[in-house]
Formats: sequence, C-alpha cells, structure tokens
Amino acid sequence: MVLLIKDEYPEKLFQENGKRLDGRDKKELRPIKMEVDILKNADGSAYIEWGNNKIFAAVFGPREVHPHHLSKPDRGVLRVFYRMATYSVFDRKRPAPGRREKEISMIIADCLEPVLFLELYPGTAFEIFIEVIDADGGTRCASTTVASLALADAGIPMKSLVTALAVGKIDGELVVDLSGIEDKAGEADLPIAITWFNDEISLLQFDGDMDLAELDTVLKDAKEAAEKIYEIQVNTLKDKYISIQKNIENEKGGED
Amino acid sequence: MEEEEQVTQENDEFEDEETSRELVVPGEVLTEDVQDFIPGRGTIFNKDKTKIISLHIGLKNINKNYINVIPLRGIYTPQPGDKIIAIVVDKNPVKYKCDINSKDFAQLKPRNTVKRMKSRIGKRNYEREELSTERFDIGDILIVKVLSADRLNKPELTTIGKYLGKKNGGIVISIDPPKIPRLIGRNGSMIKMLKNLTKCNIFVTQNGRIWIKGDNIAYERLLIEAIYKIEREAHTTGLTDRMQLFIENEKKNRGIE
Repeated sequence: MVLLIKDEYPEKLFQENGKRLDGRDKKELRPIKMEVDILKNADGSAYIEWGNNKIFAAVFGPREVHPHHLSKPDRGVLRVFYRMATYSVFDRKRPAPGRREKEISMIIADCLEPVLFLELYPGTAFEIFIEVIDADGGTRCASTTVASLALADAGIPMKSLVTALAVGKIDGELVVDLSGIEDKAGEADLPIAITWFNDEISLLQFDGDMDLAELDTVLKDAKEAAEKIYEIQVNTLKDKYISIQKNIENEKGGED
Repeated sequence: MEEEEQVTQENDEFEDEETSRELVVPGEVLTEDVQDFIPGRGTIFNKDKTKIISLHIGLKNINKNYINVIPLRGIYTPQPGDKIIAIVVDKNPVKYKCDINSKDFAQLKPRNTVKRMKSRIGKRNYEREELSTERFDIGDILIVKVLSADRLNKPELTTIGKYLGKKNGGIVISIDPPKIPRLIGRNGSMIKMLKNLTKCNIFVTQNGRIWIKGDNIAYERLLIEAIYKIEREAHTTGLTDRMQLFIENEKKNRGIE
C-alpha cells in the first residue's frame, strides 16, 4: 500500500492578532541555544538548537588531505561535509549526498574561507563535518553559525566569527528568521551571512521576488538580528572557560 | 636517571600573574587606540588600521606597547631546537616517518640516529655502523630534537644529543600544546612542585606530550590526574598553590605517603 501525504500549507501565515504562526513577532528570532566542546575526539566541536533545528559540527585539522590530489601546494583547503540524517525531515531523506547537500557544503566553505588564513597551511586541509539531526527551515544558516563556533573552539586563527540567518517576505510582510513552513509557503527567502571583520557580507542567496526598497530594509533588519546571534556566539565561547573559574571560586568560598 | 626539562621558553608569557585574565574571542576588538599600541602575537589590524583585533580564543596580555593574545586552544608548530616526543608510525630503508602532533609528519633519517665518530686515519678496519632503519621499530616512542622546520617542508628530526633517543618504560600522556607553559610554570615552579610531591620523573615537551616514570603506580596515577586538572584550569589564577593543596589532600585520601 502506498501512503500518499501531500504537503499542505496554511493559507495565511499570520494569525489574526498579527503574530506569526508560531507566535513570534515579525522581527523576533526563534529560541537559540549553543554549546561548544561537546565531541571528545574532534579538535573543535559545537552544537546548536535553533528553533526545531538540531545541528552538530566537528572540526579537524590542519591535517593531511585525502585524496592527496586535492591538496594545493601554496595554500590549505577548507572542506565542508554537510549531511542530513535520514530522520531529520518529514519524508525519509535518502542517505546519499545529493545535489542540495553538495551545494550547501560548497556555500558554507565559500562563506567561511575569507576569515581563515589558509595560506599559512599549504598542503593541508581543514575539515568541517556538519550533521543535521533535526531540520525545520534555515539549516544552512544555522550550520554556518555553528561551524564558525567549532572553528573558533579548535583554536584555528580566524579574523572573526561568522553569523548567518535567513530573512524574507511572507504574505507581503518582511520578516526575520523564517521557519520551515514560512520558507516553503512564503514569497521570498534570503539567507545572509555576515563576517564581523569589517562588517562584510559573506553569503547572499535569494529566492522569490521583492523590490529594491524592500531589499534594503530587509538587509538592515538582518544585521540587527545577526548582532543578537553574535552575542550568543561570543557568550557561548567564553562561558566554557568562565564556568570553570566560577566553580573554583565557589569551592574556595565553601571552604572559608 | 635524573631528567631535567629543557623547555623554558615562552613560559613567562602565560604564567605572568599580572596578565589580565580577560577572555577574548576571534574578531573581538582589543583596542581602538592604534597610536599607543602595536599588534603582537595572535592579533591583527583591521582593514583601515583603526582597530586591533584578536585571532584566537585566549587571554589578552599587554606587554609594554604590544598587545598579545595567548591562545587557549591550538596546534603545535615545530621550531628548530625544540625537544619533542615523536612516535614512529612508518619506516622504509631510507627514513622513519614520525607523528609529532603537528600538521605534518616529521622524518627521521638514519644518519641522524647514529653518532658519527671522527674518521680515524690509518685505521682501515674501523667498523662503522651501517646506516639502516633497523634501530627503531614502528610504534616506538622517541625523544627527539627538531633540526629544521618551516612552513613548506617536512620537519627533520635527530636523536643525537643529551637525553634524546628511545625511552624504555614510563607513560606518555598528551595535553593541549598551548597549555604546556602553564604546566611548567614561572621558572619551572609548577613542574618542580609536581616532581617533589609525587617523586616521579617528568619530561615535558613543547608538542603537548609528557613522559612520566615513577617508582609507584599510585603516584603516577595521581600525577596524571593532576596534569589533566592543570590543563582544564590553565586560564585561572593561583594555580600552583591550588595544585599543591590538591595533591597533598589526595595523598592523604588515598593513603600514599
């Protein structure tokens, strides 16, 4: 028996009180939780929960390149392996890497490369493994954010962290941080990544339609929202060390 | 056999108690006062040269007018003259391939493993040792010195010298290379304290590997635990006193004296 379930999208993406379907305002982010240094065998690792997205990232390197012909004599290479678990989406996802995964791996590598000093490590590779355990819209942005955290945790010299998020247009309104349904049923979707070194845009993809004035507004909104995410990234990296210091101080206080 | 750790370079940077314990992350602005400060280790100017920016996650340190960032995580970069612990992973008749916990494998050539005698003129039957790679086996742990290392070529090692060569017995553990200066302490204070309290021989090397040999397995276990504790708490203040207290308490608890 073949069971056919069609994807059904709601007609309206806003509730009657003006809020979005998940109860957020137009410029409100989904709840974000990050952690670093969670995988023992990786050089650096990080984990993010962004709304319903759950993503792991592990960083290895610099190390030898396999296959060897991919290595470059004058600079290192950055290789990203973005993979989705078979159970991460509604239908079973076929486990082999397809067109979409290869594309996302490429764009993440391209948008992280400007912050690294690859020319200092000729003939070697940095490898980032990204595993999407649960997906609900905006995994490429969440993956970029968590990959830059894992790179920083591995102690690799970086010009800055990278923060990414999606902005877009649903039902004629400009919104920040699209969820899965809004991504599919909305009018426009615009993933954007910002490197904080000189405040440059490192990734800009666009799908849908929007006029130029709207694009300017939505980019400003994106930067405001990205600053909030950047703050969480910085605090996550520092908390790992600050918590150890606090534990020691508490022990001391207990003894006295 | 008395082992003296030879590694004293770099330790005053990390151990300096006057270092501000301010944590910074990559991309964080260290100062906008570019007139009075110069970017030092682990820092960079931004494009317009109006800010100095950190490259690592680490501790901010100001030395005269240099701003440095002392990294808390990172990899080991071999420098000529470093004494390090290498593991033989492969060999052929010409050279050994060694893992030195760096981005490249290092190579050890047989002519750097045999002490050369001065040629004795007139003694034709002088037996010179054959140059071959039968001296060490795959899996051996060697204490070596780096002869040459740069960005492009594979590092080259030697086993000729004081304290160098194959180690028999003992335990090798590995920690993050940037935390090695903290384990040594200012002028070797931490390592001296560990040696006195646990009665073990310790050889600390720059690539993050530590060779330990003691008379008693209980002491060795305590020392390993202490080293991992130092690694975890490397960025905190007053570490040497706290570690001394920790080891003395643990000795009482475990009943070893």
